[in-house]
Amino acid sequence: MLRIDAERGVRFCDGWTRRDFLHVGALAPLGLTLAGYHRLRAAELLSQQSTKDKKDINCILLFLVGGPSQLDTFDPKPNAPEEVRGPFRPIATNVPGIFISEIFPKTARHADKFAIIRSIYHTATAVHDTGHQMMQTGRLFTGGVEHPHMGCVLGYLRGGRGELPAHVVVPRPIGRTGGNLPHGHTAGYLGRAYDPFILNADPNDPHFRVPDLLPPDYLGQVRAHRRQRLREMVDGATAAFEGSVAARQLDESFHQAFRLMSSARARAAFALNQEPVKLRDRYGRTRFGQSCLLARRLVEAGVRFVTVNMFETVFDEVTWDIHGSRPFTDIQQMAREVAPNFDTAFSALLEDLHDRGLLETTMVLAVGEFGRTPKINPAGGRDHHPGVWSILVAGGPLRGGQVIGESDALAYAPKTRPVTPAEFAATVYKGLGLDPHQELPGPQNRPLPLVDYNVKPIEELF
Amino acid sequence: MLAGSVRWLRLSSLAIVIVSGTMGLLLGGTVSPAKGAELKVYPSQVVLTPEFPSHQVVVVEEEQGRVLRDRTAEAHWTVSSDQVVRWEDGSKRLVALGNGEATLTATVGQQQAVLRVVVQGMDRPARWSFQRHVLPTLTRLGCNSGACHGALAGKGGLKLSLRGFDPNSDYFVLTRQALGRRLDLVRPEDSLLLKKATRQVPHGGGRRVVVGDDHYQLLLRWIAAGAPGPDPAETPIVRLEVLPKQLLLAPKQQARLLVRAYYQDGTVVDVTPWARFVSSHEPTAGVDDTGLVTSQAPGVAGIVVGFDTLVAVATVTVPFPPLSEEDQRRLQQAPRYNLVDVHIQRTLELLRLPPSPPCSDATFLRRVYLDLLGRLPTPEEAQDFLQTSQAQRPDKRQRLVDTLLERPEYVDYWSHKWSDLFLVSTRKLPEAAMWAYYRRIRRAVADNEPWDRFVRDLLTASGSNLHNGGGNYFVLHKDVSELAEATAVTFLGFAIGCAKCHNHPLEKWTQDDYWAFANLFAQVALKSGDRAAEVLVNDQPEGEALHPRRGIALRPRPLDGPPLPADYPSTRRHYFAQWLTAADNPYFAKAIVNRLWRHFMGRGLVEPDDDLRASNPPTHPELLDALAAELVKHNYDLKHIMRLILNSAAYQRDSQPLPANAADDRFYSRYYPRRLPAEVLLDAYADVTGVPTPFRFVKSAAGDALSATSSYPLGTRAVQIPDALVASYFLEAFGRPERMAVCSCERSSEASVTQALHLNNGQTLNDKLRDPNNVIARWLRQGKSDAEIIERLYWHALTRPPREHERQQCLALLANLPPGPDARREILEDLTWALLTSREFLFNH
Repeated sequence: MLRIDAERGVRFCDGWTRRDFLHVGALAPLGLTLAGYHRLRAAELLSQQSTKDKKDINCILLFLVGGPSQLDTFDPKPNAPEEVRGPFRPIATNVPGIFISEIFPKTARHADKFAIIRSIYHTATAVHDTGHQMMQTGRLFTGGVEHPHMGCVLGYLRGGRGELPAHVVVPRPIGRTGGNLPHGHTAGYLGRAYDPFILNADPNDPHFRVPDLLPPDYLGQVRAHRRQRLREMVDGATAAFEGSVAARQLDESFHQAFRLMSSARARAAFALNQEPVKLRDRYGRTRFGQSCLLARRLVEAGVRFVTVNMFETVFDEVTWDIHGSRPFTDIQQMAREVAPNFDTAFSALLEDLHDRGLLETTMVLAVGEFGRTPKINPAGGRDHHPGVWSILVAGGPLRGGQVIGESDALAYAPKTRPVTPAEFAATVYKGLGLDPHQELPGPQNRPLPLVDYNVKPIEELF
Repeated sequence: MLAGSVRWLRLSSLAIVIVSGTMGLLLGGTVSPAKGAELKVYPSQVVLTPEFPSHQVVVVEEEQGRVLRDRTAEAHWTVSSDQVVRWEDGSKRLVALGNGEATLTATVGQQQAVLRVVVQGMDRPARWSFQRHVLPTLTRLGCNSGACHGALAGKGGLKLSLRGFDPNSDYFVLTRQALGRRLDLVRPEDSLLLKKATRQVPHGGGRRVVVGDDHYQLLLRWIAAGAPGPDPAETPIVRLEVLPKQLLLAPKQQARLLVRAYYQDGTVVDVTPWARFVSSHEPTAGVDDTGLVTSQAPGVAGIVVGFDTLVAVATVTVPFPPLSEEDQRRLQQAPRYNLVDVHIQRTLELLRLPPSPPCSDATFLRRVYLDLLGRLPTPEEAQDFLQTSQAQRPDKRQRLVDTLLERPEYVDYWSHKWSDLFLVSTRKLPEAAMWAYYRRIRRAVADNEPWDRFVRDLLTASGSNLHNGGGNYFVLHKDVSELAEATAVTFLGFAIGCAKCHNHPLEKWTQDDYWAFANLFAQVALKSGDRAAEVLVNDQPEGEALHPRRGIALRPRPLDGPPLPADYPSTRRHYFAQWLTAADNPYFAKAIVNRLWRHFMGRGLVEPDDDLRASNPPTHPELLDALAAELVKHNYDLKHIMRLILNSAAYQRDSQPLPANAADDRFYSRYYPRRLPAEVLLDAYADVTGVPTPFRFVKSAAGDALSATSSYPLGTRAVQIPDALVASYFLEAFGRPERMAVCSCERSSEASVTQALHLNNGQTLNDKLRDPNNVIARWLRQGKSDAEIIERLYWHALTRPPREHERQQCLALLANLPPGPDARREILEDLTWALLTSREFLFNH
């Protein structure tokens, strides 16, 4: 079993130690600032561990919380009855024969870069939470077992690059969506040490910064070091916490915080204001748009997996959850606000990654937790429908410009090549260069494969 | 209290005697056939009819009501009359042949167990039942699940009711809709129903049955018999039974479960083939969809069995490895102070989990202050408590609990606690109303109002919301369905929200249940009062909550309760409040007791603590029942339950694990450390540093604007603030609940990098440490020595003196001061920072 960073104390993957931290302070009189020193170290590192290494694939998962309607997005059915096909017409994309809904004109210009999976479905209870679990972990949570997010699995197996966390959730984890179940954004049974770093701030805020990333001026290196040492002294005084998962989580949080604080590279990665205004505008001045831009910055800096949650909840917010009645969204609101927001940010992300040569080494996945009922309901909306929906996958080794699977005439059920969330996860794992059947130490240390042995990746994508 | 302890001591020594029988057996290592174990066959009696002509049987080795091994596979089976029944060894079941009585004998080694069989009615044709045969089959096959044809809109043009809750409509749909082509009475095997399910024609749901298997045969026979419809004379199911109920297995053992349905007319049938099986804890034991249990690793798992709308639970206990003599002694000699310990001990013994020793007085003091008052003991309070030993005063811990229960901080902290539950905030209430609401809750805590009386008063509050603050409950939840859902979670621990639009997909609640329940609140009327923020809450004689799909008003009915009598003399709210707080309400007392337990023990007996559904079994069902009964018996006095918990040995154990109980996270073999709640932590920072936290701004309801407030003068503690919208980055980062929805999930006690960054670099703690008037500055001004200051800091923060090596390290640091006027002070600030961010401080342990 490969455990890259199991049970180590304060750990610096690049060989950094706390002595270096102090050492940097000593360098300052020589005109080398901490930031400069870090830049040197970071450059050294990147030469060894490139984010453009073709075998070392990154991933940006855009979670379209609420569950986009397959009919109104990427699986239009112009020949279906009016109450099914909905108000929008299909438009051509830059790939002949592939049509998507007219409310995504910018996305349509990049169909060569992504593949549409039109036959994904699940059979669990039709609440948001189950879909969140399955699309982020490949599994439904049963029997009190919480499975790890794919990004946490990646972090567990490969570790972080340098002092950057392996998996970052932007801007916040998915909150209340009605089912009162976990959403699958954590490391689950792998343990708290592999949980993602959660940004907890809105990248679209004009004063955006990672809260408290920088020490106040009056706390120099000497004091910071002294504080850590004294804290270790106090913590060493009692053994009451040996069996406590919560205490281990606290320790890990402090270690991670210290790593982040000490890293110029990490600070630079989050400095969204260093991006040109034009590019920021291109992504769209929305929480989601700027989150996508931040995701690119993070991947560029060395983060392996970024999960961008488009929304935090489906209540009293305009989302993809188009039931049609309050506190939810209706179809027109979705078309007016949600679709352009996605269209702008997603197309910008693909373009930007492509321009920087990062798309080859970075998968981009845009997925919801389920589809919507084909027949428009009396409130003018569509309800939950896990029977079939559509997702977009791009980048890394995945071949774009194609459609995988079809739904039936009413976009009700898969017609050909049905795809399960587990197969989606297997595909992501394969894309990341992992063996989907390699085993993790599961609950009670029972070996558990990343996905079940009979589940295969979607080979057409490779 | 003393008399009580004596009584319990006697009772618990009895418990030791009883259990040591089991222990002797368990000490043998793997659970193997042993003296004292008896062979037992399940069920003990079977009645077979043409409708239910077969019944599965298991034979087990059992001791004291617990199955140690399933012997079904190796038993030798004989029937007394092969005219009456035959034994099918492959499927381990009895099959009826002709009317009469017979016995089935299972032989294992020298032991035998006998089952009585009665076969009747074989001289008439079978009466296939839509409700008892067809619907359970469709449910088992998943046809009417929420993801398939049970979805609100159905699937592929076929819409069945979710898990068969509406037999009449399902029958209509199957026999009449789609031009009647779903069933073919002339050539039953050509029925579309069967061809789809077997995927002889394309089926979006794939192949659900194989031609010729039991489910297929049953559907075929029903169609061949003319597809009889729902029979109104058929009586409903009244009880579900799973056999055996208790299993005590070594890892990697297998055992089979049977499920029997009891109908009102007295018939009892084997419904194992139709039942659903789910394990509540798969790491301990898993179960397949035929009811075969496989134990995995030490622990307890509930195997939740569902059939129709009912749920039954079998408990699988997998003990830890045999104990060393020392641990064995620890387990047997574990102190037992009251009824809590009797129940906790029983599980520990079954599992072979030795408890950690009792915690020290200092640890107990800190723990109980934090849990009851939400604050740390002062050094003076600590010295006062610690100066007498337990030998001098054996009941000193009980007396401390009694004293703390009467302290003013108790009122602050528990008013705060219940304000979470009742969603006190200016998000939806104007400030004056919020204060009135808070004061009502605070009065209940201060007066120790019995929980039932307080809840009754709240739910029937009328008049001005400013005068009678409880009425704000109705101002907060204006909508009938919001009111119904909030009430169900708050007082019963039920989440019923899903049933608003369709039958609950995870639980038994139907849409009818929901709207009959909601209709109890349909006649609450709100009117604006004369003053600003004033709302008059009253009952009006009319008003109905209409079922949205059926368009009718259902007779008001509490969940699982009897409907409102037509001639009920008072309001609907009054009827509900009476039902809710009646002594025999099965949920009300449990819901609050479980919340209290979680508060003190770190984990609910049912977890999450507000999800008390039948399919989410408690870890200690008897203890939950016993505590609920205690609450009712003691006039709903919450302090009585608090005393029981706080005075138990389970609460007073050390948090340091023993090697043999380190893996335990739910059986209370030790105290589970947990992070202090956000507000308690912030107050503790203010107390230790001597710098109060300012609360000067309130967020707008949308969270996007701040406005200044003067409601909270400097010195107000975080736990004294009623409004969840008072701005505080610290409180948010440390998981303060938003009080938007009634859900204990709103409060987070998990550590995060955000918090660690804030403690390192953020203003909250650093500002207090730098404050020119903080405790360090004062002591320095008073000319206290380094040693004295170090000593005091430790007592203030950790309720203990520094250990010798800590004292030496700190003194050494202070002895070699770097240059600079603030050097000494900065070192003391940094020491304080280290103390206040240590695990020992951040956790209640």
